[in-house]
This record gives sequence, structure tokens and C-alpha cells, in this order.
Amino acid sequence: MSALAYETWYLGRRTTMRFLRVPANWISIIAFPLIQLLVFSQLYQEIIRLPGFASETSYLAYLAPGQVVFAAFLAVAWSGFGLLVEYRTGYMDKLRAMPTRRWSILSGEMVPVFFQAAAMAGIILIVSVLLGATIVTGVPGFLLILVLAGMFGLSLAGVSFIPALLTRSEQATSTFSLLLFPVVFMSTAFVPVELMPDWMQTVNEWNPISKLIEAIRSIMNVGYDWELIGQAVISMAIIGIILQAGTLWAFGRLSR
Amino acid sequence: MSTTPIIEVDDLVKVYGRGEKSTRAVDGITFGVESGTLFGLLGPNGAGKTTTIRILATLLEATHGSARVAGIDVAAEPHEVRKRLGLALQTAALDAFSTGRETLELAGRMHRLPRAEIKRRADELLELMSLSHVASKLTGTYSGGMKRRLDLASALMHQPPLLILDEPTEGLDPQSRTALWEELERISDSGTTILLTTHYMEEADRLCDRLAIIDNGKIVVEGSPGELKHGIGEDTVVLEIAEPDNDGTLELVRNRLEGLLPADAVAAHPAGVSLSVANAGRAIPGVLRRLDGDSLEITGLHMSHPSLDDVFLRYTGRRIREEEADAYITMGWY
Repeated sequence: MSALAYETWYLGRRTTMRFLRVPANWISIIAFPLIQLLVFSQLYQEIIRLPGFASETSYLAYLAPGQVVFAAFLAVAWSGFGLLVEYRTGYMDKLRAMPTRRWSILSGEMVPVFFQAAAMAGIILIVSVLLGATIVTGVPGFLLILVLAGMFGLSLAGVSFIPALLTRSEQATSTFSLLLFPVVFMSTAFVPVELMPDWMQTVNEWNPISKLIEAIRSIMNVGYDWELIGQAVISMAIIGIILQAGTLWAFGRLSR
Repeated sequence: MSTTPIIEVDDLVKVYGRGEKSTRAVDGITFGVESGTLFGLLGPNGAGKTTTIRILATLLEATHGSARVAGIDVAAEPHEVRKRLGLALQTAALDAFSTGRETLELAGRMHRLPRAEIKRRADELLELMSLSHVASKLTGTYSGGMKRRLDLASALMHQPPLLILDEPTEGLDPQSRTALWEELERISDSGTTILLTTHYMEEADRLCDRLAIIDNGKIVVEGSPGELKHGIGEDTVVLEIAEPDNDGTLELVRNRLEGLLPADAVAAHPAGVSLSVANAGRAIPGVLRRLDGDSLEITGLHMSHPSLDDVFLRYTGRRIREEEADAYITMGWY
């Protein structure tokens, strides 16, 4: 275990630098939720007169939690790329031929995803507050949101790692990520569930992204709602276990 | 034999795929490498060289047969083998977003070198490979030659007894290639065993103490470059003759060389005649003395020694450069 931790630390430090040294990595993650936050909060500001928004003070307050999760989602969407590129260039072989545990190579890619998702979510959260959104639970609430965003990153990383490891193709991996966008758009990021058609309401009962958005929304706008937070954590744990198992399997297959 | 071989490969087989689509990339290879020598696997692309060294470097499992490094079975104890080898791959495999120094430090960390030792070795190797001035630049900005040297340095961080190099000079310009050869000779002289693959005859000839020629997954011949060249025979001397009258000239030359060379060592050649002799340098003076005369005007002379190219041609029936379009495409779905 200590060998795994030791190797994950040094390999994770490297993947983190790899992420930070290419500004396009984090700019492209931040840009989209930032634009949505700035444009939609203005464009749709009157939408809160609709019945489903009854308790909201502003559309910005409603929109911000969704964009925080959107940033975490984007941080995850291409997270498998680094490993894929290094498999292709042969750098992964180089690491495998060192006395390194095979799983350290994967965890050196995975663990930083937690921090990347949390950091990206944190930036959007800070911008939201600067624009006028509030976090009624204060600094502890802010930190809890970062932890939840990080967990979300880890639990969903498989949606990028699995296609990356199985297809070994950047194009296929990014196309697959695009297919997941509707899951975010159909969540409660933009409108409350009451305003959705029936079938979408049913989908949202199971959409883990909506669960997380609702949990963060309570932390920001109302106060800790432990039932919502609990549901978010449990749904992320379930998805995380399934996707991580898939990732371990796909990685084992690749490096056999 | 008092020294134990550092590499022992015994009847190694690697089959890719199953059923009708399967290919035998390595088809029963056996060889050994003595400690401290520089051993080359020479062969065209797709011959099975890379597959063989990937098995030795614990990156691939053999279908059949065994391979041992320093007496340790690569399949049974890969972790122990990894501690003892340095590996540099075909296209210098580096993280483009790490600096040169970070690359070396990471290799040191993974080999569990103490912190002070990592710093010392990194400085030493950066200096040795003339990379000190770019140590803090990202490797993505390096030239091809610099990447190779850094890759080699990172393979040497833990001072492994065995260095495995896959096509170490592929794609380098002649100057960088010569520089890298000198580096490899220095490493070899310091006692490190080197196993390399190449499809450059000149490289094999210059660097290797011993080499094995691989074709279609099999070793076709093994020996020192000198032995291999001697093994296929003789030097060739071509005498250019003014206005050669084919049959008449050939007959005349054979007559004059009677007693010195057997008749079948003299053959017609478009420019005159060609002679097969054991040692061209020694034979030429005598030949010229005999042939000197009014009826033959010798206008030129050139001689050639057998090359590894000839060795390759002899044992495989083709030139090494006859390549096929059968490389794997690694883009897209597959």
C-alpha cells in the first residue's frame, strides 16, 4: 500500500503538472460554464416568474450550482486523454518497465482528477459569488461543495477512461464525451424538474448529475439538506463503483 | 564458460491473435548475451526484434518458451527484472510536458533512489549527455537527438547492469547518430551490457560485439560481425578492361592467372572481369604482375569486402531495405 501511495504521489504530481502546463486544458473547461453563467443569468433573468422557481431570488442563484457541476463534468470529460496519449507515445511502456506497480500508473492519472474537478468547480463557484450568488453556509459550505465536485470527478472519470482505454482513439473518446452532454442538459442545471416534460422528470429521478446539483443548490441557497447531500453521495458512489470497475478492467486489458 | 549470460532466451514464441488471423511474430528464438557485451538483433521491420525485446523488458508475455535476465525469469518475477534493466524505446518515449530534469528525477523515484543520489545522478547524466543547458525546458521542445539522449539518460539513472534499446538511432540525422554511437560505446566500455535492435547494417557492424540476424521471427545466423562476413567468403576484385572482347578476354585472363587463381574464380563482368579472392589486398599485386602485357589494357580496378548487407542477403535471400506495407496503423478504431 505504501508503494502504491508513494508512486501515486510522484506520478500524480507529474500528471498534475501536465494538466497545468497546457493552459488550453483548464481554459477550455472553465470557458463553457463561465459563458453560460454570464449569458444565461442575464438572458433568462425573468424566467424565475415561472411557478417552478417559486422559492428562487434570482436566476443566477438557480443557475450557479448547475454551472459548478458543469465545470466538474467538463474536467472529467477528457480526463482519459493523458493516459491515452502516453500509451500511444510509449511513455506508459517506459513506466511499466520500471519497478512501478501497474495500478500506480492508473491511480497517478485518477487521483489528480479529484483535484482538477474540485478546482474547476471552485473557480466557477468563486465567479458566481462575485456576480452576486451567495453561499448561505459560508466557507464550510464552499469546501463541502469542492469535496462533492472532486468526488463527482472521481466517480465519473470512467466515462472518459473506459472509451479511451478500449478504443485507444482520441476521436472516439471525445465523440463519446459529447454524447454525455445531453445528460447534463437534461438535468436540473437550467430549469427545475417541475417545468420538464413527464419523461424527463422520470429520467431525472435517476440522473446523478441532478442529485449533485440539487445538493449543491441547497448548500448555496438554503442550508445543509443532508437528505439531498446523502442522495448525491450515494448515487455518485454507485456510479463510481461501476465505472471504476470498468476502468480497472479496461486498463488491465490494455497493459496485459 | 565461466561467465553466466545476463540474458538467456530459450525457444521463445509469441503468437498474436487467434485462429486463422494469428501471426507468429517470434517463432522459436534462442540466444544468450554474455555480461558486459554489446549484442545486436538485426533484421528488417516486422522481423520480430521489437517483440523479442518487449518480452525481455517484461512488457509482453511470451506464448511459449522462457526468457531470463540475470538469471531471473521475466514472466515469474517481472518486478525483480525491472529493477535490473534500463529501457529506451523506438521513438524516444518521453512526457512532453515534463522538463528534462523532472524526467530523470521521476525515473530515480520509481527506482527508489535516495533523494541526494537522484540529484547527483541527474546532474551527472545531464552533463554527460550535453543536456545541462536545457535541463529545465520541457522535453516537447527538444530536438530528436536531445530526446534520444534524455531517454538514454533516464534509462541509466539507476545504473542498471542491462540496457535494452529498441532502434536507438532510428530517424536521427547522421551527426546525432554518430554522437549517440560514441555514447553507447562509452556506456558499453564501462561494463554495462547492451542489447539493441537495429535495421542499420552500419550500426550493427560498428557497435556490436555479437549479433543475431532475425527474419520472419527466427534467428537465421548469429556471430560477431567479422565472423559473419568471413563466413560468407571472399573479397571481390573487378578489373576494368578497355574494349573487352567477352569470351576472348575472359579466356586470356584465366590463362595468365593459371596457378595463381582457379579458373572458376574468374568471371565475366560488364566492365571487364571479376575475381573472387580470399584477400584482395594481398592478391592484387600478383594479379597485376601476371596480367601486365600488351594485349590487355587495364583501365581501372576496384575491390570490395563482403558487408553485412551481403551476409543478410545470403541468409535471407533479400536486401534488408525491401520493406512491406504491413505496419500497424495505430490511429482510429481497431
